[in-house]
Amino acid sequence: MPMLTNLIRGIKSLVRSENVERDLDDELQGFLDESIADKQRSGHSPQQAERLARVEIGSTNTVKHHIRSVGWETSMENLLQDIRYTIRTLLRSPGFTAVAILSLALGIGANTAIFTLIRQVVMKQLPVQNPQELYSFGAAGAGGMLGGVDIGTVELFPYDFARQLQQQPGPFQSTAAYSSFGPMVNIRIPGSTEAIQAPGKLVTGNFFQVLQASPLLGRTLQPSDDTVKNGNPVTVISYHFWLQSMSADPTVVGKTITINSIPFTILGVMPEAFHDLKYGVRPTDFWFPLTMAPSVMVQDNILERDHYFLDMVARRNLTHSLTADQHWLDSQMRNYARAATGATLSPARQQEIDHITTPLTSAARGLSSLRNQYGDSLLILSVIVAVVLLIACANLANFLLARAIARQREVSTRLALGSSRARILGQSILEALTLSLMGGLLGLGFAFVITRALIAFVMRGSTDTVLSAHPDGVVLSFTFAISVVAGLLFGLAPALQFARSAAGPTTLSPSTRGTANSGGRFWPKALITSQVVLALLLLVVAGLFLRTLRNLQDQSLGFERTHLLIAEIKPDIAGYTPEKAPVLNQRMLESLSAIPGVRSAALADTPPISSGAWRSSMHPTGYTPGQNEEMGALLRRVSGHYFETTGVEIVSGRGFVPSDTSTATKVVVVNQTLANKYYPHGDAVGRTIGVDLDTNGPWNIVGIAKDTRTLDLHSAKPEPLIYLPIVQLTGPHDSFANIILVRTVGDPTMTTRAVRGALHSIDPNLPILNIRTMQEHLDTFTSSETLISRLTSTFAILAVLLSAIGLYGVMSFNVARRTNEIGIRMALGASNSGVQWMVLRESLWLLAIGLAIGLPATLIVARFLRSQLYQMSPFDPVVFAAATIGIAIVTIMSTWLPSRRAASIDPMVALRYE
Amino acid sequence: MGQHDVVQGTLEMLILKTLALEPTHGYGVATRIEQVSQGVFRINPGSLLPALARMEQAGSVKSEWRTSENNRRAKYYKLTARGRKALTTEEETWNRQVSAIARIMQTSAKASSEA
Repeated sequence: MPMLTNLIRGIKSLVRSENVERDLDDELQGFLDESIADKQRSGHSPQQAERLARVEIGSTNTVKHHIRSVGWETSMENLLQDIRYTIRTLLRSPGFTAVAILSLALGIGANTAIFTLIRQVVMKQLPVQNPQELYSFGAAGAGGMLGGVDIGTVELFPYDFARQLQQQPGPFQSTAAYSSFGPMVNIRIPGSTEAIQAPGKLVTGNFFQVLQASPLLGRTLQPSDDTVKNGNPVTVISYHFWLQSMSADPTVVGKTITINSIPFTILGVMPEAFHDLKYGVRPTDFWFPLTMAPSVMVQDNILERDHYFLDMVARRNLTHSLTADQHWLDSQMRNYARAATGATLSPARQQEIDHITTPLTSAARGLSSLRNQYGDSLLILSVIVAVVLLIACANLANFLLARAIARQREVSTRLALGSSRARILGQSILEALTLSLMGGLLGLGFAFVITRALIAFVMRGSTDTVLSAHPDGVVLSFTFAISVVAGLLFGLAPALQFARSAAGPTTLSPSTRGTANSGGRFWPKALITSQVVLALLLLVVAGLFLRTLRNLQDQSLGFERTHLLIAEIKPDIAGYTPEKAPVLNQRMLESLSAIPGVRSAALADTPPISSGAWRSSMHPTGYTPGQNEEMGALLRRVSGHYFETTGVEIVSGRGFVPSDTSTATKVVVVNQTLANKYYPHGDAVGRTIGVDLDTNGPWNIVGIAKDTRTLDLHSAKPEPLIYLPIVQLTGPHDSFANIILVRTVGDPTMTTRAVRGALHSIDPNLPILNIRTMQEHLDTFTSSETLISRLTSTFAILAVLLSAIGLYGVMSFNVARRTNEIGIRMALGASNSGVQWMVLRESLWLLAIGLAIGLPATLIVARFLRSQLYQMSPFDPVVFAAATIGIAIVTIMSTWLPSRRAASIDPMVALRYE
Repeated sequence: MGQHDVVQGTLEMLILKTLALEPTHGYGVATRIEQVSQGVFRINPGSLLPALARMEQAGSVKSEWRTSENNRRAKYYKLTARGRKALTTEEETWNRQVSAIARIMQTSAKASSEA
């Protein structure tokens, strides 16, 4: 086919060009000779014939050029020539080239960094077969254990229901269940002295088959492993644990490690890419058969009825309809609820049951808490970094436009010498692409650094993470693509200039260079105005996020935030029984209170503010609940000095005192919300209240505590809360304290070592999961707001800087170009300050137009951010005013120097300037 | 008699027709066209040789080096099957155009003679 022959010919001509030259010469010479011979035959003399023949043929070089340019290899040579020319030109103005590449690198790098994170956090599918067939029952957003609820109303399931569906999956290919949270387990590896703690998951035997995930070594769990309650201590471990804690030992399969004091056999190792269906910051390290739950979660009755702690997932057959599958699932749950209710089924109850449903949600991308937390922020950020890149491109477009105007003479000359317009335009696009591709390359480096920093922030310093900063093929293609697009965007700017230039002698005359050709000045103005609009937008967005963060951080919490240290311990996995707990608690309190620098110490089940919630239903005496009224409250178990240690104020009655022992009357302290709700006459103190717990009540209310923030920093109204004294609680779980609170006199971080030492001296094997200050703990509740406000302000400042540079450049260039005109004006009587005002006025006009467009546009965009803000309106006047003033100041500052330069022009010099 | 360059756009068609009779080299094509057109058309080599190169690129002609009548090394051009097809198509188009123009010229002449 001609294409192939042409390709070969072109390559031959590139590679062996002397041969091709020789052929061309021969052909032309042959033609010439024939022509001469012919003319001689017609009767001319040899010299005449030769002259005539040569005149006919014209310039042999031109003919050769025309023949050559038919093939594609000429375009190739032209391209190489243009590339060399471009590089020379760029090197000739190193300052411009450096600034251009740097600003492109920052813009492209930011875009790549955010894209990398979005790919991993928001977009990535599970590394299993056919992830689109996986559906979770409900969104699986919660993790925990509930009792006394209806199936299908909370998105958690009990063991017997999970088994039932596993054995009879109905229309699904298969269903599996897994613990909705990863309990920390205590691990002892033979040969090592220290125990380590890591998260594990309990899963049904068919879990890995449902996910269609294969192991790296050994085997995964099978349904046969998951039959006998507490009978089969086996586990599958993660790649990360295998690498870090077992030194990637290739013979690990079949070895035993001790978990929660029980020897477990390792069945296999999962590959590096596998990270579980539901995952958060910390990847799961162990998978246990669900039947081992009592040992792993240190709770004997967890597999019995009314313990809702499992999430479920099904592999659907995609040929079935989703609604049919949903109906089947709902009917299964309703049947279960009916059976659980027992004999009598009131019509109201029937109604209730008929509304039970749990939506089947796609789990193709896994269920990631990171995505829930940061997904929105990342999407907002992707828009913002795109805007920053646009601003950088607008800058470069302006610069290239200015250069195109300055090089008009060169262009006209080239056109006159026979170059095609396309070639000149092509060369300018080549220049732009060279800049943008180099910017892209440097940007990759920036992106790596930025991504690493972002991941470190999101992971809060922990090194075992599911996120990676290394770019993969898709990210690299993305970077390449936006580099090319950016290059084309600003590379076409000179084209707008060339469209006007004519290849005639008129453009060579000097006088035209001095006039302000208003048609050609449109684009720089438009670009500057759009930069003002975009920079204003970014400043406002950053301001809104900063203010929201400030609002969140500055609100009053109801408890001490600065001089408090929190330590998390897990005595149950180290073998402590409920009977041994009170002694341990007492020893810890005594030891900690004795540390110098400690004002007081207390124990609790959770920190004062925690996303984990312990709830139960309760019955205040003297209160008749309404029909279907939910009678529940948050519960906290605390030691005696809790209220002084945390600074929670007791507004009425008293806190807990030493005389509230395990044998004394059962007492509780309630919060204001509970008191006001159920005892509106203010007589809560002295009343009794029943709480559905392992320990029997009734409980006497001895005090009312001030409301505090309990679950998060956002929610509007506090919930009713009951504080229970830990010494008065019994039961398999309730006597354990998992949190130690230490109120310090000075800086809490100074006391960390002492606390560790004190705990170690009581029991060196007591697992201490982490120690941090209350402030650090609080910061975790604002991590996504902190992230986004820091990033948006950084990008806003970057955008403003870029716009300032752009404006300065354009104004300087304009002043230089109008030097002649300014000289004339001054010679005709204009004052220095008049000239300065003339230049300033131009940029103020651009600023005004930019604000006129930008403010309404920003108002429209700000509306979409309403859900991200806290206690403020998206149209906050302070933020808008600050942003507007900021832009105005920057605009004036950027124009100041050029305008002064204009004012100091010497007319005599200017008039001769061209 | 006036010697003109060929009618615009017809150079390739004329080359194809010339080569359809017999393969020849560049000068041979020029000579033949001049002879057959009885001197009306004279092709300048600056357009002929690039045109031949273009046609070779498009695949309508094939070239090979041979010894010419004068014992010189010369590049001979030959029509390919694709070229033959192209010739037929171009000939049809040309005939259509010529008859159309002829019709237009006739009617105007009549109209002006009647007016």
